Amino acid sequence: MVIPHAVRRLVPALAALAWMATASPVAQQPAAVVGQVDIGIPITTRRPSTPYPTRAVPSPALAPASERRHVVVYLREARPQPVAPMRVSMLQQNEHFIPRVAAVTVGSEVDFPNDDPIYHNVFSLSRAKNFNLGRYPRGATRSVRFDRPGIVKVFCDIHSHMSATVMVFDHPWFDVPDEDGRFELTGVPPGDQEITAWHERLGDTTALVHVQTGRPVTADFVLPVPEEGR
Amino acid sequence: MSQPPRLVVRTLAVTFVTLTRQTLFFSGALRALVSRSWQRWTEVTARHVVFRQCRTVTVAIILSVVFVVLTLDARDRVRAAETEKLRVAAQVFTMVETRRQQDQVAAIATLAENPTLKAALDTYVTESRLLGPRPDPQLRNTVAREAERLAALTAADVLAVIDTQGQVFASGGPLRDRWAPGQRIPLSIITEPTFQDVVALPGGAFRVSGAALALNDDRPIGALVEAVSLDANYAQELSNFSSAGVVIVVNDTVVARTVSEVVARDLAEAGATEAVRMLNGEEYAIGALFSLGPARIYTLSSIDAAARAATRDAMMALGTIAFGAFVLAALGSFWLARTLTDPIDRLAGEMEVMTAAHDLRPTLRPTGTSRELDALTDAFNELMRGLVAAEAESRAAYLGAIRALAAALDARDPYTAGHSERVSALSVLMGRQLEIGDSELDVLRLGGLLHDIGKIGLSDEVLRKPGALTSEEFEQIKRHPALEARILRQVPFLAPHLPIVELHHERPDGRGYPFGLRGEDIPWPARIVHVADAFDAMTSARAYRPARAPAEAVAELRRYSGTQFDSACVEALLTALPLATTAPEPALQELLGRQLV
Repeated sequence: MVIPHAVRRLVPALAALAWMATASPVAQQPAAVVGQVDIGIPITTRRPSTPYPTRAVPSPALAPASERRHVVVYLREARPQPVAPMRVSMLQQNEHFIPRVAAVTVGSEVDFPNDDPIYHNVFSLSRAKNFNLGRYPRGATRSVRFDRPGIVKVFCDIHSHMSATVMVFDHPWFDVPDEDGRFELTGVPPGDQEITAWHERLGDTTALVHVQTGRPVTADFVLPVPEEGR
Repeated sequence: MSQPPRLVVRTLAVTFVTLTRQTLFFSGALRALVSRSWQRWTEVTARHVVFRQCRTVTVAIILSVVFVVLTLDARDRVRAAETEKLRVAAQVFTMVETRRQQDQVAAIATLAENPTLKAALDTYVTESRLLGPRPDPQLRNTVAREAERLAALTAADVLAVIDTQGQVFASGGPLRDRWAPGQRIPLSIITEPTFQDVVALPGGAFRVSGAALALNDDRPIGALVEAVSLDANYAQELSNFSSAGVVIVVNDTVVARTVSEVVARDLAEAGATEAVRMLNGEEYAIGALFSLGPARIYTLSSIDAAARAATRDAMMALGTIAFGAFVLAALGSFWLARTLTDPIDRLAGEMEVMTAAHDLRPTLRPTGTSRELDALTDAFNELMRGLVAAEAESRAAYLGAIRALAAALDARDPYTAGHSERVSALSVLMGRQLEIGDSELDVLRLGGLLHDIGKIGLSDEVLRKPGALTSEEFEQIKRHPALEARILRQVPFLAPHLPIVELHHERPDGRGYPFGLRGEDIPWPARIVHVADAFDAMTSARAYRPARAPAEAVAELRRYSGTQFDSACVEALLTALPLATTAPEPALQELLGRQLV
């Protein structure tokens, strides 16, 4: 994730200052941020309209039951940390990427197994990771390793309506809410922290929380952000 | 010596001059009317002498009225035709255009499914949310290259990808510079699945067809737009299609036109509320071809120009007809003249033949083409018949007189009675043996009859003297041919017989009289009559000797053949003699029965 250098330098400095000021061993303990993400509007999923009859492939199923799964909650302006690589699978099924949104650590590998009886392709034009896995049939799996933090949009060049997002973090403080919208960021450094909830289409919102030692902090989000005087 | 012109030429000339003068006058008057020049009209008409006659004035007035009616009628028709033409063109264009727009929308919607464009735009939108609105140049290049490729495929002027803010992300196509990245496109409907509109950009007006670029949900991430420049080329294309002028107006400003600037501006100010309108002082038929957003496309065509063309065409047709009539009239007059002069020519030819042959007996055939000519021919034939009869009569009278004279002369001497008739008959027989022509035989017959007519001038003493003649008396005798010639010269009708009577005493050896001509210098008839005269003289009794037997006379002739007598004539006599003894003397009636010229 790209963060302005000035801010990146400022945050550790501030953290050090806070640490020196409090000088309390309790205050140095990280704490969890938990919360709830809600989607304020109903979202339907629809194929783009076309003047031609639909293709012979069966209509794609609706989006996953909960749009809450399409949200990534993460700690903003976090200092880069050494993180353990993960392995995540993004299935291609019914002309959809499932899940549509994934969040991984730098160095993680994402598998793209094809579960449809047709060819799929996986490619990306994003700055953080520019790749093209080519076309491959059902049962085949190809993988991509994400080495830079950032946001990567993934598409299929055969089925232009298919898209997915992979967010790559260089710190561990991120989470994808469960079906009910609950999330938990563990071990967040104490102090004033910015927590952002990002939805692939509905925008993002950021909440300021004060993390204190040993006590979970709650942060709730509603997306999209209600429009005010816009 | 110059001959007078032929009748046909004269007739033709008269017809032609009349026709040409009338044609020149009318064409001049028509030209004056067409150019609407009153001055020229008066000049032309004043120059034309015939114009002063009431008849021509009437014709000219009728002509003018016809022309005015023709012009007005042509104008009405042209106005209706032009209006209808534009209406039909607009109808057809609307049909074609509707279909084309459907196709275009379909095409653009299909193109909007392009995964690269979608992926790139979505990537851009997503990244710009997190990183600010500075797109990855590589991403933009990818889209621009794709747009360029699609523009080439669709032959669009511009193919652009626009984000949801209405800003150009990337563009391709020949006019992509007018759709530079970052430029704001004043389109309010880019969120529709498909849309059509006209936009006015600094670089010109464009007709756009677009389709939303969307991923797997209902929120578009931008739009793909195909733009056609509403420029002079487009106007020209439409103009060719509708075969009329085209003016493209966007926001009441003329952006392209195929007509003059003034007319286009007038039209833009006035709008097309009426089908016919005055623009820049000329009448125009106007049709609204197309109307979308702020754009209006008009077709217009000048009724004045079309009416002028139509009138010119009508005048050309009129001129062609006039020329055709002129040619027909010329041919007709030529034919008429020929029908008149041909029979006359034929009659003249026949008369010429009759005159050359000195034969008045053939009658002229009726022409069968005109009663007047036939009456003339009949009268001529009647006249000729009378003439021939009169001539025959007078000739018969003449011959009778000559014959009577010859008989009277022969009767002066009993010994020479019937001599002239016999010589005449014998000469004709000999002439037949010598195969001379019929007309020569006639000359021979009469010449034989007349050959001794000069003896009228000899005294009876010399003529009837029983003994030998003195040289003086013989000289007298020798003068009778000259005397005869002198008598006959008085009668032109007897001129052909002159050589016979004058030269029938000439001898082949040149010892004859009166001139002593030799051999071939003596005409045939004279030689024949000489031999016949000698034979008859020898076989007739004389006062001083009895008649000799024919055989004796023949022997005598043979002896002197070639010297005193022409040998061919002697031979002819020998052949003819048996016929002469058996054949009866030629009757006077037979002689007179012949009609000679």
